[in-house]
Amino acid sequence: MPHYPEGTVRALLATDQVTPATRAALEARLNAPADYQPQFFDADTYALLQAVSARVFPQPDRKTPIELAPNVDKRLLAGTADGWRYDAMPPDREAYRLGLGGINQAAQQAFNQAFVELTPAQQDQIIGQLAAGEAPGENWQQLPQHRFFEEMLAELTESYYAHPLAQEEIGYVGMADVPGWQRIGLNEREDREPEPIGN
Amino acid sequence: MPDEEVLEEGVLNPVQPEIQDPLLQRILADNEATPATEPTGEEAPAPLPDPTDEVDCVVIGTGAGGAPLLARLAMAGLKVVALEAGPRRDPTKDYATDEKAQNFLFWNDERLSAGQNPVAFGKNNSGTGVGGSTLHYTAYTPRAHRGDLKLHTDFGQGVDWPFGIEELEPYYEEIEHFLGISGPTPYPWDPTRRKGYPLAPLPLNGAAQLMERACRQLGIQTSPAANAALSARYYQEGIGWREACTNRGFCQAGCNRGAKASMDVTFLPLAESFGAEIRADAYVTEIERDASGRVTGVVYEQHGRTVRQRCRHLFLCAGAVETPRLLMLNELALNSGHVGKNFMAHPGMQVWGTFPEDIWPYKGIPGGLISEDTHRPKDADFAGGYLLQSIGVMPVTFATQMVRQRKLWGQPLRDYMRNYNHIAGINILGDCLPHEANFMELSDEKDARGLPKPRLHFTAQENEQRMNRHAEKIMRQIWEAAGATDIWAFERYAHVIGTARMGLSGDDAVVNPDGKAFDVPNLYICDNSVFPSALSVNPALTIMALSLRTADKFLANLQ
Repeated sequence: MPHYPEGTVRALLATDQVTPATRAALEARLNAPADYQPQFFDADTYALLQAVSARVFPQPDRKTPIELAPNVDKRLLAGTADGWRYDAMPPDREAYRLGLGGINQAAQQAFNQAFVELTPAQQDQIIGQLAAGEAPGENWQQLPQHRFFEEMLAELTESYYAHPLAQEEIGYVGMADVPGWQRIGLNEREDREPEPIGN
Repeated sequence: MPDEEVLEEGVLNPVQPEIQDPLLQRILADNEATPATEPTGEEAPAPLPDPTDEVDCVVIGTGAGGAPLLARLAMAGLKVVALEAGPRRDPTKDYATDEKAQNFLFWNDERLSAGQNPVAFGKNNSGTGVGGSTLHYTAYTPRAHRGDLKLHTDFGQGVDWPFGIEELEPYYEEIEHFLGISGPTPYPWDPTRRKGYPLAPLPLNGAAQLMERACRQLGIQTSPAANAALSARYYQEGIGWREACTNRGFCQAGCNRGAKASMDVTFLPLAESFGAEIRADAYVTEIERDASGRVTGVVYEQHGRTVRQRCRHLFLCAGAVETPRLLMLNELALNSGHVGKNFMAHPGMQVWGTFPEDIWPYKGIPGGLISEDTHRPKDADFAGGYLLQSIGVMPVTFATQMVRQRKLWGQPLRDYMRNYNHIAGINILGDCLPHEANFMELSDEKDARGLPKPRLHFTAQENEQRMNRHAEKIMRQIWEAAGATDIWAFERYAHVIGTARMGLSGDDAVVNPDGKAFDVPNLYICDNSVFPSALSVNPALTIMALSLRTADKFLANLQ
């Protein structure tokens, strides 16, 4: 799989190849304060969400990982939605409350400890159970496990790949579209599109 | 943890904007700071309309159903007002080339999705703002085929439309030339058309070239697709010159160049140049009637105020969820028992693969290449048919869909996404039969306005499942022939169709063949809800054609 150089998107943001509206959206994510304080979740639940996010998107390669929990907290506080919900699921706030609680129940059952206390390998085991729909815990009586995992995974994924650093990671520079794209066919690279390094 | 019960009702957070990005929040805040959020054009703001004024026509919704007829009615000299639930924005300044920042284009009020194949809404199937869903449609504009309108005649299943394709053809021609459709002439699957497309096709991107190469090998005919983005500068009545597409690949998150023929840069400016008034941020809650059952006006919420607008005629063009929802909330036109019934969604299965070539899937219109060889496959074990389209894709859209299907997480997720520049897809768009299990209803759960949320039931039936199997096999063959590895399929359903259908009798349809409600003398409906059958093509062009036809029928009845 290709590896792309770092800094591509950040370099393009400084040029006039990016519109002001685009730059504002991306820079807000780049410059998000590192010390976000949860406003919807209580401190323990928020720490649990952070721990889960860190296993869904492990970032050992980054000194400062892209934070994914703040967007969930902000959205639930605002009470906004993305236009639909599985009818089998409770409202989003209830779903996160039950789902995160269920993750802790699964951790207790397997290791007699809260999820945040587990080693990364143990945490991965719990997330693996959840992804397979096999995590134990009474909360899952009220919440379809596979749907909760799907919804949480999709929300974290949206936040991750909307971040300029994640876009650098996958070699995406579509935001630099002011000049348009002339070379759009197979193997037709334009100068501002990065070439992979290594394999 | 805050009290769930209270908060879930939305009482503490009434109607908050869906935006998290600071720039857009600022824009929204600026809009709110200006009390009369009239469009920020160069022209002087118009005086506030007298709410007791009666106008000839009110049109609810400014998408593909409402915008063309708004222009037609204004051009006929009628006094017309359009009410749009969403805001009016300036794409050249307000649109970011960023998927998440563009989420304001979607109808983000929650809809409940039920059944065995719950349909995704939001960015998949809905729109808001002046221009409606056309602000983020992919601008595929294939015409329906003759056979699409007579499924029952040909297969003994589904229903026929109350008229034939010849009723739509003049409107297809007119719209193709007005919007400036780019496409192949002659059209390979309909070579006898009277008029060709006004512009040459748009260029093929990587995904389109891969599909073309493999299909040639397999003996499947392909062609550059018809698309409502301009392959060259084009003169637009009511607006002037529109610039050509620059291949920025962001059609589904909004075109900031005016190259894509969304309604805000085509029919709506035309309508306004003939005196139509468009009121943005106007969310209709009530449709008022007199004792005889005639509509007398509508009530809407705008900027925290409640406004009444009287009208002689009402055109309901709010899309196939909000149209039946308004009818149900107002107990209007319900005699047939078919409001909310016959909900159809196009099978839109996608097949993705990873290729050694560089693809850069964000460049070019997403659906560059089409094949309609599968419109009526010889080996089909199902009624109807489908078309095939190549797909390029923006990264966030791709990643979120992919995880929903493949459930990748952890390092394997990051590893897979590193292949993004080497990924290409194909999808189908197939016909869907109406079924009693598929319908919309009002739920007991309330939205932030205190109105019941809609619940939509959808379960793919035998016919859709057979079509999916047929299509998945072909798409996998194509991608294997093209040299893909790690091929995977994503079963999905797109477009919302048929919840207030058109027919010959008020016993089994909501509107007559002219689009007029059987139960209400001065109510017309025009959007995807009136489709009697789903068609095997993308719906926008046909919605626009119906819109012009509905206006012409109305004007003829008026005389």
